[in-house]
Amino acid sequence: MDSLFFLFTGAAMTNILDIKNLNKSYNGIPALKNVSLSVRAGEIHGIVGANGSGKTTLMNILFGNPVIRETGGYQGEIYYEGVSLKTKNSTEIIGLGIGMVHQEFALIPDMTIGENIKLGREETNRFTDRLFGKKYSFVDRKKNDLNAESALKKLGVNVDIGVKIINLSTNTRQFVEIAREIARADLKLLLLDEPTAVLSRDDASNLLEDLTELSQGGLGILFVSHRLEEIQQICDRATVLREGEVISQYGRGEVSTTKLARDMIGHTVSKAMAKKRAIEPRPLVSFQQYSVEMPGEEIRGMDLDIFEGEILGLAGLSGHGKSALGYGIMGMYPATGEVVYENMKIDRMDAKANILKGMYVLPDDRQALGILPDHSLAENIIFTGDQIKGLFSMNFGLPFLGFLDKRKVYDHVHQLVDDFEIRCTSVKQKIRELSGGNQQKVCIARALTVNPRLLFVAEPTRGIDISAKEKILKMLIDINRSRHTTIVIASSELDELKRVCDRIAVMVEGRIFKVLQPDSSDVEFALALAGEEGTDYDA
Amino acid sequence: MRYKILAEKLFNMENLVPTVFLLLSFFAWQFSGLSGTFVLNQVITRFIRDGILVLSLIIPVVAGMGLNFAIIVGAMTMQTALLFVINYQLAGLPGILLVFFLGIILAVISGFAIGHVLNRVKGKEMIVTIIIGFLANSIYQLVFLVGFGTFIPVANEEIILSRGIGVRNAVDLGMYRNTIDKFWLIKLGGIEIPLFMILVVLLFAGIISYLLHTRFGQEVKAVGSSHEKAEIAGINVNALRIKVIIISTVLAALGQLAYLQNIGMFDVYTAHMNTDIISCAALLAGGASIKSANIRHAIVGIFLFHTLFIVSPQAGQNLFHNAALGEYFRSFVAYGTIAFALIISTKYEKK
Repeated sequence: MDSLFFLFTGAAMTNILDIKNLNKSYNGIPALKNVSLSVRAGEIHGIVGANGSGKTTLMNILFGNPVIRETGGYQGEIYYEGVSLKTKNSTEIIGLGIGMVHQEFALIPDMTIGENIKLGREETNRFTDRLFGKKYSFVDRKKNDLNAESALKKLGVNVDIGVKIINLSTNTRQFVEIAREIARADLKLLLLDEPTAVLSRDDASNLLEDLTELSQGGLGILFVSHRLEEIQQICDRATVLREGEVISQYGRGEVSTTKLARDMIGHTVSKAMAKKRAIEPRPLVSFQQYSVEMPGEEIRGMDLDIFEGEILGLAGLSGHGKSALGYGIMGMYPATGEVVYENMKIDRMDAKANILKGMYVLPDDRQALGILPDHSLAENIIFTGDQIKGLFSMNFGLPFLGFLDKRKVYDHVHQLVDDFEIRCTSVKQKIRELSGGNQQKVCIARALTVNPRLLFVAEPTRGIDISAKEKILKMLIDINRSRHTTIVIASSELDELKRVCDRIAVMVEGRIFKVLQPDSSDVEFALALAGEEGTDYDA
Repeated sequence: MRYKILAEKLFNMENLVPTVFLLLSFFAWQFSGLSGTFVLNQVITRFIRDGILVLSLIIPVVAGMGLNFAIIVGAMTMQTALLFVINYQLAGLPGILLVFFLGIILAVISGFAIGHVLNRVKGKEMIVTIIIGFLANSIYQLVFLVGFGTFIPVANEEIILSRGIGVRNAVDLGMYRNTIDKFWLIKLGGIEIPLFMILVVLLFAGIISYLLHTRFGQEVKAVGSSHEKAEIAGINVNALRIKVIIISTVLAALGQLAYLQNIGMFDVYTAHMNTDIISCAALLAGGASIKSANIRHAIVGIFLFHTLFIVSPQAGQNLFHNAALGEYFRSFVAYGTIAFALIISTKYEKK
């Protein structure tokens, strides 16, 4: 039946998307190198790759994301049904019949589900259509909502269509986003960027069934995922990306998880690995009914003890509060609850006071909060140490007026640059000219200058290439072992936490759901992340 | 805890400001000793005079561009059109029609320019519109104070200063005064209701409400909620923002026409001053914020704000035997409302 269908249409076998020799770099660091691939109508083409392999960059290019143009465009050609996409913006690309489901949701937060699904394609009143044209025609809200509801029903989701997006769980948002794309009549190519990353197991398998059905209806799908089983299950062809390059491509029937895994990981990077050890459960700091009002990442009444000398991992899906802990300590967002640090109660979440007490936070938003981009590397390293503790000032008995002791600064900075192998032309180089990995090393160096007893690090390896990642993880382990600094790492990279941490606390909806050992099974972690008690292990 | 929720429901941002205004106006009215009929007549006059100007602010707020202080530019374009037509002495219906179309064309052009500027300063629209207003005002003064009689030929000596250069301070609009206001004038006891003009203001309210319920309106809301996300969702954000400002400027121009014909006198250099501040204050008094505004806010706001505006000088006179105090109180009310609303909405924004 299928082959007959193809014979008659003919066009179905031709490529609707052709990518030829695509190259893209950010500030001189290549993100994509000579990538070529194609998608046919009615096919699901999978793209596999580890973090940082260029999957998201590829999607951004395909969808005309303004980020690409702002960072200098790309080289190579992309043809969609014979039309070059090079000069097109997202609006024009959507007009051509391409839809995209974004990893970071592109839903309008203050609008309802119905409004979001039908945005730009609202059902309008027929009378005012003729009067003023579609664009200025009265929106038929009832019909609109009905239509949106049926699109959601197709995906097997039952929610009140009048709820605003802000009030939805990440799970439902993902389905709304997909419903928005498939509700389009003109959709010919669908780009999916890690659509199952935030879904529970059941929801993910429902989604995969939906996708297979859609592709049988003639839709071309480009499916990006790092879950290999999914790729094997639904993809007709698959391309493996590693560090921006196409490593291999598999045709129909050749896709298998073992091959994909081998190609994806490639050469072995020597991985940071902390030895197992027993930690004495003596709390250095304990949080009771601790809440932080960080929008989108609220902590709601958390109880947690952090033991002296340990490395504690904080895991959790985005939106469940793992990155708010550090911000709360630094007083970035209003925090309530009881914090006992070394038997002292801390009432005020004040950055300066807490740094003096021996706590330090390295935020996940490195560009905005972690570095002073236009200052030199040396100034960045000594900044907190000098401003808060006056470590490098020649003190003449006057507050604020101490001159900087240049020799002391440069001795200290050179020492750290050598120790951490920070790659720079000189210590006077502006920090924004350094790569992400080196910036992160500078941040850690700054934290060490303050010599904290308790260090919070959020997403230490985000946006950093694979080999630098391991170096940073090793640095954290070294600091912990040699200086006995207690470290809390909030990260979405579960695999890294498992290698580095002594304990891993899983956060769900702003509370500690479970504290797991790093050698707990993947199933236990998956269940904990989804907020389910691990009773049915056969699931 | 329960009281807290109840208190939040009653005294949320939307109701707090109008409640305060209602109380203030009531007490000021009591002290002023003015008759209810007088105040009501005055408020109705202000409603038809300022209504369209206040309404012109709504769409930019919904589009996330804050209060468009540049409506003053719209007011000036209409005054420019009016002066040119008076200069060439076109009286009667053709004259009015020409003013109307010329004003709209100038408003579209300046709205387009303002929109382009605002696209370059996303997130700082309000301060930029204030400065644009100042800039436009000085250009306007330059043209009419120095341009007339030098590079613009004078055809109507009556409106020119005796030295031959520059337009007079005040130009009489006697022939247009209250022409439309007297249509369908209904008298209920001592209260005069100019039904036609009220319907005109309500018609504009209806047009704005309609626009916000179209595909265009949905896009405006989306851009107002998050312009980055709207861009990814396939909306041409820059083009949309330009359209929004054009609509606002054109409405402001029409609003100024209604304002001038109601007053009947045309103070060439001052008629447009403060239209922005007073309109913004009126909108905010109705419970709008710099993030959300609707027709109800505009209409409630005009009534509350102008009641206070009318009764406060007299109340000042009676309480402190000093009319000037009431006059100061007027500016305090106008700027205070704006400052208060800005602080409150910034606070709510963080949540």
